[in-house]
Amino acid sequence: MGERTEQVITLSLPSSMQHVYLLDVVVTEILKEMGFAEDVQEQINLAVIEAGTNAIKHGNKEDLSKKATFQFVLAEDRLIIVIEDEGEGFTRQEVADPLDPENLLKSSGRGLFLMEACMDSVTYEAKGTIIKMVKYKESPDP
Amino acid sequence: MQINLRHKGSITILDIEGRIIGPDALALKAVIDEQIQAADSRTENGGHLNLILNMERVQMMDSSGLGALVASYASIQRNGGHVVLLNLGGSVKSLIVMAKLMTIFDCYNSEAEAIAGIMKP
Repeated sequence: MGERTEQVITLSLPSSMQHVYLLDVVVTEILKEMGFAEDVQEQINLAVIEAGTNAIKHGNKEDLSKKATFQFVLAEDRLIIVIEDEGEGFTRQEVADPLDPENLLKSSGRGLFLMEACMDSVTYEAKGTIIKMVKYKESPDP
Repeated sequence: MQINLRHKGSITILDIEGRIIGPDALALKAVIDEQIQAADSRTENGGHLNLILNMERVQMMDSSGLGALVASYASIQRNGGHVVLLNLGGSVKSLIVMAKLMTIFDCYNSEAEAIAGIMKP
């Protein structure tokens, strides 16, 4: 059995929305290194930015004393991203469906939907203060 | 993100370039709000803003950017104006399709079509 190669990269950001640009640069480089197809890179990039915005803005409420932490686990067959904030959390089921006709013209509320649409799996832990997202290099069997 | 503002007759065109992520949404909304106010003080179009957002050089947009577009659409409609999208690229178009907003926005692939579309009674 061959040795598994797995790299872990951790990024800890003070909760300023300006740091979304830094997050974008870091994830772009990671995705290039992992060799995902270009359209898949765009999907993962979007999901990470949405998760970062969720952690910084909605979780930590842009309190600079609170950190949003991103752990990227670069495995051979997948990328695992764990995002943690220091907020009070939320209940996924209580977030309104942005595709509901009555919500279509709302200016916010699409972030979680887009994360789930772009990644192979998204799970919520610790009252939603930890979000784990996974994208496989090859799509997993349905 | 960079925004270049130009006018063609009574139509305002914003050529947007780069990635619309994070704080860029607020900047984009602020530019559009300024144009709504500027149009309000002009007599042509009855003070309404007719706006084309040229997205040809937008590489990526997040949900905040999408929110800015939706909020601008609502403001401009309320004031009796029109906003249309021009030259949606692959990832931005996918985003708008995923969010089921193709039914809200009129989208065009050429500036001439967009101008004709926005002037439609």
